Amino acid sequence: MNRVIRIGPVSVQVSPRAGLMTLLIGLGIIFACAIALRAGSFPMNTQDVLAALTGDSDPMHKIVVYDLRLPRILTALGAGAAFGIAGAMFQTMLRNPLASPDIIGFNAGASCGALFAMVTFGGFVLLGALIGGALAAMLVLVLSWQNGLHPYRLILIGIGVSLTLSAFADLLITRMDALTAADMAKWLIGTLNARSWADVIRVTVGLGLLLPLIIWLNFVLTRLSLSDETATGLGLAVSPLRLTITAAGVALVALAISVAGPLPFVAFVSGPIARRLVGHGKPALLAAGGIGALVTLLADTASRLIPFVSLPTGVFTAIIGAPVLMWLLLVQARKGNII
Amino acid sequence: MTATPDILQSKTAMHASASDHRKLGLALSLMALCLLAPVALSFGMRSVDWTQIWSALTAYDPTNPDHVVVQVIRLPRFLSAVLAGAALASAGALMQGMTRNPLADPGLLGVNAGASIGVVICIWILGVSDPAQFIWIALGGGLAASVLVFALGSAGRGTPAQLILAGAAVSALGLALTRGVLLISQQTLDVYRFWVLGGFNGIELDTLAALLPFFAVGGIATLFAATTLNALSLGNDTARNLGVRVGLAQILIGLAVVVLCGATVSLAGPITFVGLVVPHLARKVAGSDMRWQVLLSAAFGAVLMICADLTGRLSLFGGNMQAGVMAAFLGGPVLIWIVRKHGGGTL
Repeated sequence: MNRVIRIGPVSVQVSPRAGLMTLLIGLGIIFACAIALRAGSFPMNTQDVLAALTGDSDPMHKIVVYDLRLPRILTALGAGAAFGIAGAMFQTMLRNPLASPDIIGFNAGASCGALFAMVTFGGFVLLGALIGGALAAMLVLVLSWQNGLHPYRLILIGIGVSLTLSAFADLLITRMDALTAADMAKWLIGTLNARSWADVIRVTVGLGLLLPLIIWLNFVLTRLSLSDETATGLGLAVSPLRLTITAAGVALVALAISVAGPLPFVAFVSGPIARRLVGHGKPALLAAGGIGALVTLLADTASRLIPFVSLPTGVFTAIIGAPVLMWLLLVQARKGNII
Repeated sequence: MTATPDILQSKTAMHASASDHRKLGLALSLMALCLLAPVALSFGMRSVDWTQIWSALTAYDPTNPDHVVVQVIRLPRFLSAVLAGAALASAGALMQGMTRNPLADPGLLGVNAGASIGVVICIWILGVSDPAQFIWIALGGGLAASVLVFALGSAGRGTPAQLILAGAAVSALGLALTRGVLLISQQTLDVYRFWVLGGFNGIELDTLAALLPFFAVGGIATLFAATTLNALSLGNDTARNLGVRVGLAQILIGLAVVVLCGATVSLAGPITFVGLVVPHLARKVAGSDMRWQVLLSAAFGAVLMICADLTGRLSLFGGNMQAGVMAAFLGGPVLIWIVRKHGGGTL
């Protein structure tokens, strides 16, 4: 049951279940960080890691922890959180579990831009991805704006743009030689290899700047998820709000792609998992961010632990995220809950 | 493709009743198919003139190179494109009707992902590179994946949203495994990347003949399944009150989709666009009657696929661009135009 806390004129509704689950997700992240700090090709035990973190240990350990593992872990957490929050935003706003950013054209635009940069300039992959993604999002918005933004129209036009762009990306790939194609395939899946503190700072500052907006949207989205008429009746300016949410979502995804590449499935899976853990009727943006961070970190750790072959992080996001979602579906079905 | 704008223009011009639009749409797309058939048989790297096509079909002479081109290369290619387009589009209409979600497509049942992982493992471990040999593995993979999706999606209450989430999860898992294998093995990537885009190039008449029974079974199942869709579109509870056996109907629809898509995937690789988008075009003409939506989807899908295959043969696209890519290229802008012109704010 929900409780209401009043402090002077401010009152906040608190759900104990949501609080407990957010706490559990947080604990899960801390636990995963501990595993990720120990794991890897350079063998270290818990004492070594703790010693390196607190200051006095041998320089080799310090380099591994501070310059290699910690930036990678923090980047994974930041990028995963950004993907998760953005995915939950789009899914709640468009009232459709399939409407994550990769469906409405953003990822296709980013991939297309990256490939185009590779084919024409032989580099600038990251810049190409950012410009391509932003252009695709703008195109979708401009094309679907007709006296406001309607979910159905936005999704369908997003799909049209997305499919045309991915066809273009496929065409670009067949024009490459096999070796470059394999290289690009790796980037297009998303990898967290060789991240630096600059990436950590970029993703942290970006998330920090967007955090107030995210917290505000978390309250607003509850009303928007009802229906357009009800939301308008409750005093929301629906179309401008959709524009704001899309802009925020695009910024979050751009941020995440710029540090981790277009990691698949994180944006899609975080929202539904968070919703099922936290309980229904709440957008649960922060919980979705936590799940996104957890899934990405676990996927990255798995990609470092598999011996002999180096597979990019993006291969493991779905391998870790999909079974969790399946299990939740089964558990909920057995309990007889309406999904 | 060429037929679709005509239909819409005539729709506004004639102010005819809805059932006339449907019949007109069907007639126009069948006419377009008849007109496109000789073009598809004559056009390509080697042009064959009309009289030669006729004699190749009626009096086949294996020593005449024109006859060989028509009979061995172009005829199977044309027939495959018609079958694949019709199969994917009607499967898409069935899926969207059953799940009541306009974003649902056959790929969502996991058929494409299952078939792909089967094929990739086949290329990787067995070293096979001939499409005729991985038909059964592709079918098996597709079937296994869709059974998993249905099991997850229909446990407990089995709501449409549950099915969609299960499908997306299984698809993503299959895709990730496929990618993993492709990254490990360079050779597999080289064979796979041309298959995955979906093309009708190099399909032999024997392969097509072997798959024809699957298309026939899928087509018959579709006809039966389509009759329950009108009731299902009102919601499972209402459908039950109207006397439809919902579980049975869903299994029938699933079966039709799996068979149609499995056969198409083995024939031409996973083609994503047609099953998702063509039902939307068909809906604009057919109105709310689901039986007409399925029928018109099949007709429009066949026309779109032929047009895509023909455009791919233009020298502009290197003379041999895969039809799946071209379908997305041509169909994307059409979808956007349709939605902008006719798409309201409601489902």
